[in-house]
This record gives sequence, structure tokens and C-alpha cells, in this order.
Amino acid sequence: MDWYAILEFSRGPMFYTALLVFMAGMTYRLFSTILLGWQADRVPNRGSKLRGVAVSYLKGFGIWPFFPWVKGTLSRNPVTYLAGGLFHLGLFVVIFLGTAHMLVWKSLLGFGWPTLALPIIDWLSAVTIVAMIALAINRRINPVLRLISGPAEWTNLIIVFLPMITGYMTTHHLWFRYETLFSLHMLSINLMLIWIPFSRISHFMFYFFSRTFHGAQAGKRAVAP
Amino acid sequence: MSTQDVTRAPVAKTAVDTFVKTTGSWVATQLEACTRCGICAQACHFYEATGNPEFAPVWKVELLRRAYEQRFTPPGKLKVALGLDKPVTDRDIQHWSTIVYEACTLCNKCAMVCPMGIQLGPLIHEVREAMAASQVVPADLVTAIRKQEELGSPLGVTEEMWEERIEWIADEWEVDIPIDVQGAETLVVFTSIEVMKFPENVVAIARILNAAGEKWTISTPGREVVNFGVFEGNPERTKLFMARLFDAARSLGVRRLVVTECGHAYDLLRWTAHNMTDVPVEITHIVAVIDDLLNKGRIKLQAGKYDSLGPIAFHDACKIQRRGGHIQEPRNILRILAPNSFREISPNREESICCGGGGGVIAIQEADPLRYKVFELKMRQMAAAGTKTITMTCANCRLQFTDGIKHFGLDVQVRGLAAMVADALIEE
Ligand code: HEM
Ligand code: SF4
Ligand code: SF4
Repeated sequence: MDWYAILEFSRGPMFYTALLVFMAGMTYRLFSTILLGWQADRVPNRGSKLRGVAVSYLKGFGIWPFFPWVKGTLSRNPVTYLAGGLFHLGLFVVIFLGTAHMLVWKSLLGFGWPTLALPIIDWLSAVTIVAMIALAINRRINPVLRLISGPAEWTNLIIVFLPMITGYMTTHHLWFRYETLFSLHMLSINLMLIWIPFSRISHFMFYFFSRTFHGAQAGKRAVAP
Repeated sequence: MSTQDVTRAPVAKTAVDTFVKTTGSWVATQLEACTRCGICAQACHFYEATGNPEFAPVWKVELLRRAYEQRFTPPGKLKVALGLDKPVTDRDIQHWSTIVYEACTLCNKCAMVCPMGIQLGPLIHEVREAMAASQVVPADLVTAIRKQEELGSPLGVTEEMWEERIEWIADEWEVDIPIDVQGAETLVVFTSIEVMKFPENVVAIARILNAAGEKWTISTPGREVVNFGVFEGNPERTKLFMARLFDAARSLGVRRLVVTECGHAYDLLRWTAHNMTDVPVEITHIVAVIDDLLNKGRIKLQAGKYDSLGPIAFHDACKIQRRGGHIQEPRNILRILAPNSFREISPNREESICCGGGGGVIAIQEADPLRYKVFELKMRQMAAAGTKTITMTCANCRLQFTDGIKHFGLDVQVRGLAAMVADALIEE
């Protein structure tokens, strides 16, 4: 097989198409939900909604999106919190602060930024991969997670796992030739980009709705969200 | 298809239609935000007490999610076509009816824990709305609803019974209870739980308001603050029962309506009513009124009156504290009444665990074993704090505590906060 041609295609036209699908898909998701209609809230406030929203985000983003603020949540969901937190942390750091990824951003946006040294990124990627495996095992054995996980949940995990593992293999030249690994990495990224708008991975967008709503509901009652 | 068998009405269709009708953007964005992480499970006292995964909050809204996805989203439609997701059936509706009425008190603790901040309590209430529309509501709840509709109170207290009872309370305790006074400032609405089971609470509130020189009244047509329409999830009945109060308030010309010890009524009247109907008066809760009277110096209390009772704890009611906002007021009051013996149980405030009797659960006999099981969590909390007296501002919680303590034979006293305040009044 001509992996050079596949690489050219998957990091060229296919990547741009995938990006377009991603953006168009997310836009569609956004509008199809927010156009269902909102009811005006006519209840007189007791506290400040704005303050509630601000605190809600401080809590949501404070350490990383999963800081267990409520007593007993960490000890009762250790794997979900620790592995889930490390996975998202790794994901975001690698995507934005890895040199190779920053260069892609630079080519798309026209400007770049300082990045972290490769060994740090490399180590973090490994942690992220292990965390994802831990999340998968947890999803298999925890009775609640078993009940609420269908094919869609498993597909999400696998589709996010593939770019991670192929990216790691590419930097380490594991088992296959470089251009093969790089092609697989690009193909899996394209797959993920196309998949996100059709799946629950789009939670990163709706997060801003639910957190805002939660903050406002607590804030107007003068309760800490 | 020919004629429909009425005994087998298409409940699933009615339910799904209701889901679809109530799905606005707030429901959609909340459902979309869920990552299926399962963290909410451990927050729910029903899951924690039983370990039954079906009691996970996220699973309680499963039908709503399915209906929403299958009706509104392309992936949802595709999933059904491919057989990856199941359409909602009549059996599902029956099954979930038990889960959302008997194993959920709509306490909304789960929302505090969900990393995405999803408002699971209100979403589960949407599920109840669909159940109510398809008439798969537990029989005991239906009985109570009928009584409230026909007699004016879910406990079956008629107007004559109520009048006699109030008269008896006023005589027995020698306290003034103004009835139907035109031009009063404040309309106080009790629950029939208080009037019938905790009359000392009625007395206490009367004594406090009288001592403060408040111009207040109770109302015969607007005598029941409990609203079983909320528990059922029936907006029409909810509005009907609310209208009785607002009409009374209008005709008396009062400025404000004080909800006494009823959590769900407070959440409804203070935090939801404005979005359902016109609210003619300011709404507040008795614990906020008492705190305000203290701050203004209109009543005075004997400081430290209850310090000799041993450890006293406060139970935060879901709908008056976490959902109501009156977290600080009862603590201010207890710091005066029992500065040395007041103890917090853990967790508390907005993170507190529900007593297990809210949301109409206590009215459903079938749910009794579950309700007692859940109460064990409360017992553990009280034991850990060494509590000998527990006080609260919700009569429904109080019913659950009194019943639970009797059931398990505990050595703990349950007291209403208003009664503690009234007994400590310094009357000039
Ligand atoms: C604002 C940004 C985001 C927030 C607040 C957020 C939040 C969460 C939360 C709370 C969970 C559940 C806990 C867990 O299982 O770890 C979760 C799960 C997950 N997230 Fe995110 N996330 C964000 C962005 C992303 C992005 C950009 C991706 C991937 C491209 C992603 C992929 C996943 C996956 C695959 C899971 C499921 C893990 C599992 O199966 O247990 N998230 N997210
Ligand atoms: S609202 Fe309360 S009872 Fe209902 S699912 Fe959430 S935590 Fe459980
Ligand atoms: S905690 Fe929130 S995001 Fe996680 S499963 Fe429950 S509702 Fe969904």
C-alpha cells in the first residue's frame, strides 16, 4: 500500500473535510437544541444569578473540570475522578501544548505559542492512555456504568482512544513504519472529528449550558452551586 | 386497527408525547451535557442505601433521554433504525413509574454532585409529568390527590374538621389565631400535617407572630399549603391548588404569604409559581420571618435555653435549605438558642442528605421498606454527631423522622424549630 499517498490525503483534503464536518455538525447541534425554545424566568431573585454562575465555573474549572467539591464524591468514585481528570488534563495539554499539535494550530490560526518539552508531553500521553484504559475497565465492572453504557458509550471511548494510542506510537516509532503510523494517527483524528458532533463527546459544548444553568439556579436562591 | 381497549390505553404514546411537549432547550441542553459518568449514583440516598443501579439519577431520566434523542436528534433516529436503541414501551412506563415515584424524593442532591451540574431533580420531575399524563401514578398518591381535590386536603381534612381543630388548638393552648382577617399584612398557610399531627407548631408560630405584633391571619379557603399536584407532576392540578391560596391572598388583601413547614410547597410557591401563573403576593418561609423578627428586635429569645439538652443537630430540608435558600437563618437562630450544644451533622447545608420522605414518597405505603432503608443513612449521620435532639423546618421531614425513629426505636427527640423558638420567647 502507498502509505505516503494515504498520509498526504489524510493530513490534507481529508483533514480539512473532517474539520468542516466537525464545525458544521457542532453548529447544527448547537442550534437544533437552543432553538427548541427557552422559557423566561420570571421568579424574583433572592441572591445573584451572576454570582452563582461565576462560582459554578470557578468550581467547574478550578483545578480541573472534575474537582470533587461535594463531600464523599471522590472516595465513592475514585477511578472516574482520578482517571477521568488525568485523561482530560492530558488530552488538553497534549492537544494545545504539544509542539507538533501547536504547529497544526498555527497553520490553521496563523499564530503560535510556547509549548512544553517533548519528554513532558510524552509522559503525559502515556498517563492519558493508561487513564483511558482504567476508565474502560471501570465502565465494565461498575454496576451503574454497566447499566447506562450502550454501544454509543463504548464507541466514544474507542474513537477517542485511537488518536491517543496512534499518536504515542508515532512519536516512538513502535512496530510500524513512521508514515504508516502517522497516517493511522491522522485517519483516527479525522474519524474522531467527524464522530464528535454525532455523539456525546460533544459534551464539552453543552457543559457550558448545564454549568451556567446550575449556577443561575443556585445563585438566584442564594445557595452555593 | 379498530377500537381501543380502554383498560390498555397506549400509555407509552401519551408519555412520549408529554416528554416531547415539555422538551424545551433547557431540557435538551441538560440531557446533551450528560457524559454517562455515573457519578450522580452515589449522591442519591436511594442508590446508596440499596446499591440498586436502577436508582441512579441518570437512569431515572433514561426514558426522557430516549424520547428526546429519538424524536429530535438524527443519531437518535438512526440508532432506533439500526436497533441500537429501544423505543419507549408501555412496560417501560410502568417500570419507571415505580422508580421515579417511590425511589426519588426530587431532592436534587444529585445536581450538586454531577460534574456537569445537570439539574436531575427537575428533569425527574419532567419524567413524573409524563407518568401523570399517562395515568401511571401509584394508587396511594392518587388517593391523596383526590382528597385534596375534593376535600381540600390530602389528609382528608374537610373545612369543618379544620375549623374545629383550629378552634380546639386556640382554646387548648390559649393562643390567638386570627382567621380570615381582612386587611391583614401576612397570610400564614399551614400544612394539614401540622394542624392534625403537630398542633404545637401552629401554636408556636401563632405565639411568635403575636409576640412580634404582626398583623397576620390564616384563611379558610386557603388553608392547605401542601400541593399534591407537584408530587404527581400534574401542572393543571398544581395550578388549581395554588389558585386556592392566591385567591385567598387576593381577597384578604394581604401583602405577603408565609409558607410554614412544607418544603415542596415552598419550592413551588417561591421558586416556580411565577413561571406558571400570576403571583399576587410576596412569598416567604417562616424560618426567614423568624430570623428577620429577631434581627429587627421584634422578638427576643432566652439565649442558651437549650444548651442543657445535650447535642442538638439541624436537619437541612432539601426544598427549604438546598432548593429554598434558607441555609443560614436556622443556624442564626440555633446559635442563640443553643450556642454550646448545636452540632452540625455531616454532610450538611446544600450538600445534606434528604430524609427520604419527600416528593410524596411518604404517602406511598408500598415504598415503606425503601423509605426506612433510606432513613438508616440519616440515623448514621445522627449517630456520628452524637445527636440527642434533631430539629428541622419541614413538617414532612418531621413526619419521616418521627416515624423512622419510632420504627427503629431510637433515643432521639424530634423538635420543630418554630416550637423551640416559641418556648424560648421572652414575653414582656
Ligand atoms: C469543557 C471541556 C470538557 C469537560 C468539562 C468534560 C467533562 C467530562 C466529564 C465530567 C466526564 C465524565 C467523567 C469521566 O468519565 O471522566 C467526561 C467524560 C468523557 N470525556 Fe470529557 N469533558 C470535556 C472535553 C472533552 C473532550 C474535548 C473530549 C474528547 C475529544 C472528551 C472526551 C471524553 C470521553 C471520551 C469521556 C468518557 C470517558 C468514560 O467513558 O468514562 N471530553 N468528560
Ligand atoms: S433528586 Fe434526590 S432522590 Fe431523586 S435521584 Fe436525585 S438524589 Fe436521588
Ligand atoms: S453525574 Fe451528571 S454527567 Fe454523570 S451520569 Fe450523572 S447526570 Fe450524567
